[in-house]
Amino acid sequence: MATDFADGRMRLVVLGGYLGSGKTTWLRHQLHVNSFGPVHVIVNEAAETGVDDVLLATASGLTLLAGGCSCCTGRQDLVDALRALCDQRSRLPSDGQRLQRIVLETSGLADPGAIVAAIQGDPVLVNHIVVQETIVVVDALHGMAQLQTEPLGRRQIGAADRLILSKTDAVDTASLALLRATLRALNPNAPHSAAVLGAAQPLSDLAEDAIAPPLPPLSDEDTRGAIFPTRLKIDEHINWSAFALWLSALLHARGNDLVRVKGVLPTPAGRLLLQTVRKVVQSPEILPQQENQSEDGTIVFIGRGFRPEDLKKSLQRFAG
Amino acid sequence: MCNACGNPAVPGHWTEAGAATPSDRLRARFHRAGLLDKVLRPYGLTAYDGGVVPGIQLSTLSGNQSIVPDLSAVWAEAERLLGRPIDPLDPVFLNGD
Repeated sequence: MATDFADGRMRLVVLGGYLGSGKTTWLRHQLHVNSFGPVHVIVNEAAETGVDDVLLATASGLTLLAGGCSCCTGRQDLVDALRALCDQRSRLPSDGQRLQRIVLETSGLADPGAIVAAIQGDPVLVNHIVVQETIVVVDALHGMAQLQTEPLGRRQIGAADRLILSKTDAVDTASLALLRATLRALNPNAPHSAAVLGAAQPLSDLAEDAIAPPLPPLSDEDTRGAIFPTRLKIDEHINWSAFALWLSALLHARGNDLVRVKGVLPTPAGRLLLQTVRKVVQSPEILPQQENQSEDGTIVFIGRGFRPEDLKKSLQRFAG
Repeated sequence: MCNACGNPAVPGHWTEAGAATPSDRLRARFHRAGLLDKVLRPYGLTAYDGGVVPGIQLSTLSGNQSIVPDLSAVWAEAERLLGRPIDPLDPVFLNGD
């Protein structure tokens, strides 16, 4: 670990962005290329099933906060986790090698601004931690749709010190320029950069005269109801074929409301990590075997406009 | 993920990712076609996959046929034929016999 900063406090990077925008993918690559140096990663997931901790195993230390978004219901858990890190660190001599950096990956439902306010408002943490910057990942493919309809999406952009556009290989230059002009209108101070699967991509300067299309006014509370996470345990007799048949139909019909689906399913081909963002499904990754695989077979659905109990019923009807 | 920091991804359409061997794959295709056919029949459509040529064959009861490459295309084609998407959360579907 590096030696202390002059003020003796740790530096915290808050990594935010909408559901499925690519936060974990980006962070995973940064850990791989060691852009933060030795770092403790805190991952917050809105649902009680953690997947991201498996993907971020290369961090020096990792804390998973599952089961509550740190900007609201899980705020105390976050403060407790950060205080525990501060305590551990305080027991080590300040001239030794001790933890200097923390990256907090927020859940996709979090407002990073509220998290930064919570940390800075805590009388203990403020003496130990400096929030260095808030990085927000923006999905180049779905970002415009999110900004059109989601108040939370706009708040996240507003909270950023720096914006990273992900999936820029999946959009044409005109729609990328339109999105960037909109981002600039929402947050003129945050510089833009681009990344594909976490790796930095060249991004030209946005034309000074690029015009952002006006965004429809939104009230703070979404009239379509809040986006909520729910967990579905997949019965063992339902195999991948049956599950994929059902999910492909569900995403076709409800993909715009089903913002994110995520989980690990055991199959003959290995433990498959399934991740979707709206109607787009990522090629399933084959995860290595782990000691604790108790969450395998539990899939998290994050969205609105459906009753959680209907998911199970519907899957059973498909699976016969 | 730059090929080095991620895990290997399964190639091909994501719905076909669960099979490890050619025989698994064939079995999965038959299983899937059987289930799909059962789901589609109440909507006046049928599905068939003989396992020989790639793709899934969709037919209407009046005999119109098309071959689609994967499940995503099945639901898009079914929507085109029916004029509305097949919604797995539709109460009529959930409570049907």
